Amino acid sequence: MSRREEVTRLAKLLGLELDVESYLKAVEECAKRLEETRELRRRSADWAYIESRPEPLKTALKLLVETGDVKLVSAVTGIPPETLECERIEARIPRLVV
Amino acid sequence: MMALAVADTCFLINWLSFRRWEEIFRLFFRILLPSIMLPELRSQRVRGKIEELVYRGRLVILPRADYVDREALRIFNLVNSTPGLPRIDEPEAYGLAYAALHGLPFLTDNASPKVAARSVSSLRGVVVYDSLDLLMLLYRRSELRAAVEEFMSDTSVMFSRERLREAGVEL
Repeated sequence: MSRREEVTRLAKLLGLELDVESYLKAVEECAKRLEETRELRRRSADWAYIESRPEPLKTALKLLVETGDVKLVSAVTGIPPETLECERIEARIPRLVV
Repeated sequence: MMALAVADTCFLINWLSFRRWEEIFRLFFRILLPSIMLPELRSQRVRGKIEELVYRGRLVILPRADYVDREALRIFNLVNSTPGLPRIDEPEAYGLAYAALHGLPFLTDNASPKVAARSVSSLRGVVVYDSLDLLMLLYRRSELRAAVEEFMSDTSVMFSRERLREAGVEL
């Protein structure tokens, strides 16, 4: 099944009226813009700060560098998103707005 | 000035770290925060600011409603089933659905709500603004450039080259 067919089927299943062409085009553009963000996070992060943090924050921040997803890391580690956002700012881990 | 806007938690936390954060109220009289997002706010510093804003009438906590939950779940499923899109979590999907159902702007730095709002007909009522959109609404030319630099420095939020080019900002 092609991606177009998959999305069309899903939208129908969910009862959503979706402009599949514009959706897939926007998704592709978004993915392209987000491609290099992991490398950007690795380069920009203050690793001395990250290494200085106690566990589980240290691991959570490293996970944040890899995924860039505050709420996912929060769900995995149990650290509130707000604490992670504040720590992210301190650790200079960039969040990229595309 | 627009009267109301619904905000996502991460957006609000970042915006509250910006030295010019109060200027958001030049754009919106009042910010709406869904109660489903409240458990995400735990530190005394941010809770203190939220309580102060509620006291000043600048922030309202939205009650949870079934009809919004139903729409939120559909958005949640669509976005999270699409490879290439950043994940959306339940509170954020709820905020987007509430905004769409009530014709209000939604504030988030996650790209997915913007993508969904452009293509899903039930979301056509919502305008999704990210931080750069708000900075562009607030400032012009050299002041915009200065505000973007300050915002990036205060929040560690960065804007893609494409977005900065579209905004006419050269850093």
